[in-house]
Amino acid sequence: MPTAEEWGIVFLTIRIAALATVLLLPVGVAAGVVLARYRGPGKSVAETVLSLPLVLPPTAVGILLLRALSRQSAVGGWLAVRGIEVVFTWKAVLLATMTMAFPLLVRSARTAFEEVDPRLVGIARTLGCGHLRAFFRVTLPLAWRGVVAGTVLAFSRALGEFGATVMVAGNIPGKTQTLALAIFHDTQTGHEDRAMVLVGVTVALAFAALWTTEWVSRRRARRSVV
Amino acid sequence: MGVPAPGAQVGRVIELALEVPLASFVLRVQATLGSGFTAVMGPSGSGKTSLLEAIAGLRPKARGRIVVGGEVLLDTDRGRRVPPERRHVGYVPQDAGLFPHLTARGNVAFAARAGRERMATAIDMLELRDLFERYPVSLSGGERQRVALARALASEPSVLLLDEPLAALDVGLRERILPYLMRIRDEWRVPVLYVTHNVGEALALAGEALLLREGRVEAVGPPLDLLSSQGVVRAAETGIENLAQGRVVSHDDAGGVTRVELGTDFAVSIPLALGRAIGTVVTLAIRAEDIVVATEPPHALSARNVFEARIAALERTGVDTTLRCAVGPGGRPWLVRLTPAAVAAMGLAEGRVVWLAVKSHSVRLV
Repeated sequence: MPTAEEWGIVFLTIRIAALATVLLLPVGVAAGVVLARYRGPGKSVAETVLSLPLVLPPTAVGILLLRALSRQSAVGGWLAVRGIEVVFTWKAVLLATMTMAFPLLVRSARTAFEEVDPRLVGIARTLGCGHLRAFFRVTLPLAWRGVVAGTVLAFSRALGEFGATVMVAGNIPGKTQTLALAIFHDTQTGHEDRAMVLVGVTVALAFAALWTTEWVSRRRARRSVV
Repeated sequence: MGVPAPGAQVGRVIELALEVPLASFVLRVQATLGSGFTAVMGPSGSGKTSLLEAIAGLRPKARGRIVVGGEVLLDTDRGRRVPPERRHVGYVPQDAGLFPHLTARGNVAFAARAGRERMATAIDMLELRDLFERYPVSLSGGERQRVALARALASEPSVLLLDEPLAALDVGLRERILPYLMRIRDEWRVPVLYVTHNVGEALALAGEALLLREGRVEAVGPPLDLLSSQGVVRAAETGIENLAQGRVVSHDDAGGVTRVELGTDFAVSIPLALGRAIGTVVTLAIRAEDIVVATEPPHALSARNVFEARIAALERTGVDTTLRCAVGPGGRPWLVRLTPAAVAAMGLAEGRVVWLAVKSHSVRLV
């Protein structure tokens, strides 16, 4: 069984992953809709930039984030003036996991929205729905499975993020040490037994997340062919 | 703009002066439809669906003017473009367009402005109670169409736009849904635009037909007149049809034929149709290529219908020649399609008297 300290690591990890997912969800859904429907200049550039974290080594993303947050940069300077510390705090962990998880959510959501027949949205409009109402009553329910799948994927990615996190947040026990970092740390310092306990916890979490997606998509699939 | 047709109810008039850019041409429609029920016909890709979508407000590039029952839905010259959610249009696309994530009940109740009473009437009329809890995926084509119709009706529409609501259905289902459409026409006082390829449906339902061809209005008028005139029927994709209205006068069980009188001393034999009572008015259709022409009175011929006629005109139509033949006293000329080779070999010319022969089985009831 995990010790109190290990439970602390687990909860910190889950808390951050959950917060990252909640914060990403509205932005990711909005970006997914825009990419699915928008046909204009700049589309492929936006797509590429959004997908960069998927193809870059996470440590490279971490360095870029670190640079962006340094006092010399615009963003870092702005934060420093207001006394907001990000680097080597839990906020850095959050930022790193959000950056790495975002493209997964957007890609899933985008595919799901692309599969929604725009004619159905048009019919909803003729039945008295404005843009927003049509989105929440037709588009979103029809794209729901893809959005849920993307959310679970993003959450899982957030749980396991290592490379970018270690660059911007370090590996500070009790402060920025998440499961992935702790497993690495324990292995490096010869505490392989402790690492295995944490591995067990991550496996359980991963199972729970994937089963949830399966369950949700089955439940929806029974009702409709989308 | 224009003057509504005589007998039109002002509340049901649809005025169109529209331009809708499409992929391969610009759809231009200028018409005033006053009969309350208009059949929109024409070949595939002539712009029928786009016309309905433009009226529904689903074609943002549409320009011009749309007025339904006195309500201006579009007037781009005056910068007026009512969004679809405020047009009060009941639109039923060809594939029914049901929301797959909602039950039949959920679909019918979807309309934000659904009136309880209207909804109940629509549900009863279309006999939907037994389908209520089912999702569209488990409904048959005809059931989906009925649900989609009820959904459109429940939204209290000021105009109904129906895109081939019966096209995907087999003959049996068509005949079951047709009465619903007639009830809608007679009981719901809203104008209807009805896209169809089927001459029978147009004749049964519509007071007026609008024929489109490559984005232009080819003709507007009473369906029987339009669909019997030649150039127009080429557009209706049903082959050239001769249409005539008559009265059932007798059934001959043993002989297997029903006689339909088209005028004084002028009757046609059709395959026995006991379903049509004696005295009923029916519409007959004969394809122009199913008529055989003889230059002498034919003897010993199996065809039950032989009429003397005079060729009023010949016209080259595509690879064929079409004859206009005056048959019987007055009435509309019959169209006969022959190969130019047959016309030449028989020496057919304007004014020539000929005999037209039609098998009973080539005469269809529409």
